[in-house]
Amino acid sequence: MVPLQVLVADDEAVSRTVVGAMLKKAGYPVVFAPDGQQAFQTLDSDDPPAIALLDWEMPGLQGPEVVQKIRTKDTQTPTYVILLTSRDSSADIVQGLRAGADDYVTKPANEDELIARVSVGARVVELQAALAERVRSLEEALANVKALQTLLPMCAYCKSIRNDQNYWEKVETYFTQHSNVSFTHSYCPHCYERFVRPELEALESARAAQERQRRR
Amino acid sequence: MDQGPALDPAVLDSLRKLTSPGEPDVLAEVLKLFLDEVPARVERLRNAWADGNIEEVHRSAHSLKGSAGNIGARRLHAVCSKLDEIGKSRDLVAAGPLVRELGVEFDKVETEIRRLLNPVS
Repeated sequence: MVPLQVLVADDEAVSRTVVGAMLKKAGYPVVFAPDGQQAFQTLDSDDPPAIALLDWEMPGLQGPEVVQKIRTKDTQTPTYVILLTSRDSSADIVQGLRAGADDYVTKPANEDELIARVSVGARVVELQAALAERVRSLEEALANVKALQTLLPMCAYCKSIRNDQNYWEKVETYFTQHSNVSFTHSYCPHCYERFVRPELEALESARAAQERQRRR
Repeated sequence: MDQGPALDPAVLDSLRKLTSPGEPDVLAEVLKLFLDEVPARVERLRNAWADGNIEEVHRSAHSLKGSAGNIGARRLHAVCSKLDEIGKSRDLVAAGPLVRELGVEFDKVETEIRRLLNPVS
């Protein structure tokens, strides 16, 4: 699997560089933003980073405000957001998580903890992508099923079906074209008694008659 | 306050180890960035205090705290933390001695960084 891209947004170059180096060492490709506005622009693009580490206090847009703005966008694969903060009161943390952040890390960041939390994020992002893909393929299957949920005109005698172009088709032909169903032919016990057995008996008696003729 | 080294050797060592193969040395890069960014912020904090702008003192102390923590400048970090707290309570008078202490600690950190970046001179 391709490693997920991580955005690091922090107005302090020292913090930004240290956090970026931790992520690079762990194998993540990193992009940087020096303030909240640029972080928002990166996350609002068509192909945003899968994971974002946002500093809480930045000039312009603060970390929680950036999260709030990107969460209004309707997407099946939202960016996993971790707030970086030197605030550690639970009221602040609750505020950050309520704004839409997924997690937080206190500054200065401990390398092992930061990487562990980012890999939790990567797990969530991959799970979400797999689920989105599953939903997409189920929706596709559902669309196929719906194509068959319609009123079909069928001949009461020969059981042919009238198609959309007003032609009468055999049941097998119609279903093969409109679904993933294919047919194999056999006979039911009722039709065996009614059609097959008399046919076999007729064949048998024809053969017996031939035999008698030959002996004569 | 303890009189250990201005920069925590364990933190410096962990920064050194962050360098990925083929990338510039992270420790040197971070220390240079510190020298580029931080003196102006210390200056801004001093001016803010002289102007009686406790909000700016608070803001600058908070951001200095982050940078100091990242390079293991323990004593500078401790002074910034105290100023950050005092900034919250808006006590300009109590901030005075800490602003002076911050200047002293910053000079020690700066000297130590220059020694690390140019070991010969």
